[in-house]
Amino acid sequence: MTIREAASALRDKRVSPVELTTAAISRIDRLNSKLRAFIRVLPEYALSRARLAETEMASGRDRGPLHGIPIAVKDLFAMRGVPTTGGSRIFENLVPDFDSTVVERLEGAGAVILGKLNMHELAYGVTSANPHFGVVRNPWNTERSPGGSSGGSAAAVVANMVYGAMGSDTGGSIRIPAAFCGAVGLKPTYGRVSRYGALPLGYSLDHMGPITRCVRDAGLFLNAIAGRDPHDDSSSRRPAIDFVPDDGCSLRGLRLGFPENFYFERLDSEVESAVRGAIARAESLGAEIKPVWVPDISALNAVGQVILLSEASAVMEPYLENRASFGADVLTRLDQGRLIPATDYINAQRIRRKLRIEFDKLWSDVDCILTPTTPNTAPVIGQNTIRLGGRDEDARLATTRLVRGINVLGLPALSIPCGLSGSGLPVGLQILGPAFDEATILKVGAAMEDGGVGIPPCPLS
Amino acid sequence: MRDWKAIAKATGSPLAGKDLDRLTQPLEALEKLFRPLANDLSPALEPSVEFRMEAGVE
Repeated sequence: MTIREAASALRDKRVSPVELTTAAISRIDRLNSKLRAFIRVLPEYALSRARLAETEMASGRDRGPLHGIPIAVKDLFAMRGVPTTGGSRIFENLVPDFDSTVVERLEGAGAVILGKLNMHELAYGVTSANPHFGVVRNPWNTERSPGGSSGGSAAAVVANMVYGAMGSDTGGSIRIPAAFCGAVGLKPTYGRVSRYGALPLGYSLDHMGPITRCVRDAGLFLNAIAGRDPHDDSSSRRPAIDFVPDDGCSLRGLRLGFPENFYFERLDSEVESAVRGAIARAESLGAEIKPVWVPDISALNAVGQVILLSEASAVMEPYLENRASFGADVLTRLDQGRLIPATDYINAQRIRRKLRIEFDKLWSDVDCILTPTTPNTAPVIGQNTIRLGGRDEDARLATTRLVRGINVLGLPALSIPCGLSGSGLPVGLQILGPAFDEATILKVGAAMEDGGVGIPPCPLS
Repeated sequence: MRDWKAIAKATGSPLAGKDLDRLTQPLEALEKLFRPLANDLSPALEPSVEFRMEAGVE
């Protein structure tokens, strides 16, 4: 069931918020020891919020479509009185005395937060094999990685533990797990959603966004969390609009870019086939598919790495004396970042401006660009290299190859499931759009979903 | 091109041998992509980071 369907059932009194929440808690009790999607479950808190929602709705107060809906947030969003670990031992005793803006707005919309979700340590990686809180597993095949860093968020949504979840994306951390787990993942434009109260990884690259079961549910989340926040200087003053695509929305009249360079190089053949099939379906649904030549994405990725290494090490430097508290992969990257000179960081930001100007020119020719989200499907847990296009690639670099650069540009990006591999693993299609035009990428995603692009529900029972 | 091992040693890294290689090899790979881009910048191009004057006024 989607959020929209659950919201409808609540209003028809076919089910109550307490019943939805109780069912979600039972599901978490049954599956979390296997999937390790949650770091902390808050059953009493969630039930008290569900009872409040029930009382409000019975008295005629309707906070909107998220009212009474069980959700969860990645464990880097501050919640008053609840430990917020960032998936790290460093912050295991951090108990914020305030709510992050995302949590405040979701609860303001009536959502029932069931707990804090597991993630790659400090959001600094793509496996969600957390050395402190357990290895998150992919609900489609528990020997496979869910991706990361928001792996717990995607696993919880796909395994029907919650109806939607919040993640964060600094170099693909919403879109990668959405693709590997067969969920919808939305990285809004930088500045669209406040970062206040979310543990930072890369200040100028961090984006907060939802992972859901369908595109319109992602729009519902964005409606709740978008908008100016005086606590976050980078948050935009642009007015938030209704991001939920209309029922029956169409691709007619839309120009969808098909990259002739970079994005279709060195792909797993099943990924390529599924994505090309989805693009052909978009054309048959009325979209105009236009070949485009994209600026240098390898350069964007290199710039993104320099900026992230520098910013993450700046954030974590005060804690680096406590070396035994970090997992090996994260510690290596934090050590690497400490070696980057200030001149390289500044030059990376200068190249960033140049590439952004080049990329912006594309939007006069197309409304969106369609690409694979990842070149591969979910790797086996612990797999360090992936063979693509006849050569072995570092699994982390391969997995982030098609997503990292978009964080450098700050553009909105949506990942939707577009097929299953022969071994039953989901494939993700990435939809990129101009800054602050989430409405169009959501419309394209919803129209494709309505037109049959997608996958069956996860069979995990 | 930067000598990342020398930089690591100069900044007091306790790592040596294979541990040092594990630290510096990804930086050497990144260097090959990044340095030509940095060397191609025109002096007038300013960084993307912004100082926001509106901070703290609300």
